[in-house]
Amino acid sequence: MSIGWSLWVMFLVTLNLGITFFLYLWGPRVKIPTLPDGTSGHVWAHGVLREGVRKLPRWWVLFSGAMFAAGFTYLALFPGFGSFKGMLGWTSHGELARNVAANEATLAPLIERFRLYPVEQLTNDPAARQMGKVLFEDNCAACHQRSAKGNVALGAPDLTDNDWLYGGSGKDITTSIHDGRSGVMPPWASLGADNVKNLAQYVLSLSGSPHDEAKAAAGKPLFATCAACHGADGKGNQALGAPNLTDHIWLHGGSVAEIEKTIGEGRQGHMPAWSPRLTDDQIHTVAAYVYHLSHDADASSQ
Amino acid sequence: MAYKHFEAIEKHAGLLGILIAIMVSLGGLAEITPLFVEAHTLKAPPGVHPYDPLRLMGKDVYVREGCYLCHSQMIRALRFETQRYGHFSTAAESVYDRPFQWGSKRTGPDLARVGGKYSDDWQRMHLMHPRQVVPQSNMPGYPWLAEKKLDAADIQARMRTLRRLGDPYSDAEIASAPAAVADKTELDALIAYLQGLGIKNEPTSMAASSDGGAP
Repeated sequence: MSIGWSLWVMFLVTLNLGITFFLYLWGPRVKIPTLPDGTSGHVWAHGVLREGVRKLPRWWVLFSGAMFAAGFTYLALFPGFGSFKGMLGWTSHGELARNVAANEATLAPLIERFRLYPVEQLTNDPAARQMGKVLFEDNCAACHQRSAKGNVALGAPDLTDNDWLYGGSGKDITTSIHDGRSGVMPPWASLGADNVKNLAQYVLSLSGSPHDEAKAAAGKPLFATCAACHGADGKGNQALGAPNLTDHIWLHGGSVAEIEKTIGEGRQGHMPAWSPRLTDDQIHTVAAYVYHLSHDADASSQ
Repeated sequence: MAYKHFEAIEKHAGLLGILIAIMVSLGGLAEITPLFVEAHTLKAPPGVHPYDPLRLMGKDVYVREGCYLCHSQMIRALRFETQRYGHFSTAAESVYDRPFQWGSKRTGPDLARVGGKYSDDWQRMHLMHPRQVVPQSNMPGYPWLAEKKLDAADIQARMRTLRRLGDPYSDAEIASAPAAVADKTELDALIAYLQGLGIKNEPTSMAASSDGGAP
């Protein structure tokens, strides 16, 4: 704040408090001319109403005095009088920094303990799971749902089934959260609509799902293209994030229409990187919670 | 000053009204005028750039649809806010927001630093059918945004007007603006706007933001 504006604020504060404080001190002492009938002579409604002269009530005087005392004390202690910073030196940023530091000090022993263990062991720590759950619901649940069952419409994987696109070790999970993941399945509509349909039937056959034998047989040679990522046996490749096609877990839906759409249009699911939005310690904690979801029998009931 | 002066105020309603108006305006004069004048001297911090054409259109969709009625874009300097949303907002961050979108009502979460938190696909689904991704959401869907193509006719006029107000758009940027928004829907623009909110403009330290940012 420039000196000019500081003086401007000081002037206005002094003016306001000066006038009101003067009236407060002067009001009870002022001599009011009083008529013999005890009124001030002010009349309303053609003389029906006359203004009596009474002392200010004691409660009002005391209350106002307390308010003035509070106001002057505030201006002395806190910023408010121009650029005067107040005797306490209080700022909202300073208070935030103190609160953050106090919170970090409270959490420090926990965080220190969490750092000692890899995700696979930290997952057994109830405090880590509890903290991870809060972080999960705040940040991850928008896509993976609060239940962590995922969202087929979005292509967000179920985290409770222990089927992993990019690997399910603590390290893999931590990497997924830290750096995010981007699916890169290209569209195959260029193969022709019939071929896409045949491929979809063959993909269904990989998991033993109900399918059209003839179309599946026709689609089988075409799968050589898909095998580059999904493997010749269709079991997927965690290094690329290519899903296993031989189970009954479908990232983008397992109906014929959905599989045909997946093949024809491709899929580019995207998980954002959570660093630096979450600190490394927070990511470690969330990873422990996520690990727990698919490794504890009672996890899914929470 | 004697009682007769006080009596004059008491007995003349017009004079009483004028003096009351003066007294109650003192607070506003002290709090509003310095900020009003100093706001025009705020400079954009490094990393804060004027909206590119698509995001500019997206911002106008955001304003038109009244997103600010439920979403604020101001993270207060309180721990429970900075922990959830990131670094507190500063005044200098919104120098290119006309009108600013700080808001004072949160039915939904604050959006000041939502950019990049979710994928584009998520934003698209969420704007079309919010409950498909967040079952407990009470946000309305905005499916018509996907059907409406952006009207590129006045984007250059908008950018020139903003340049007159001080946004440093170059001639080349204005010339290429219609191409940047061609064939895009209002949904594309809004997603581009949302995905840019708060990206790479976090104040580097508390000290650096003490000018003008102090709430």
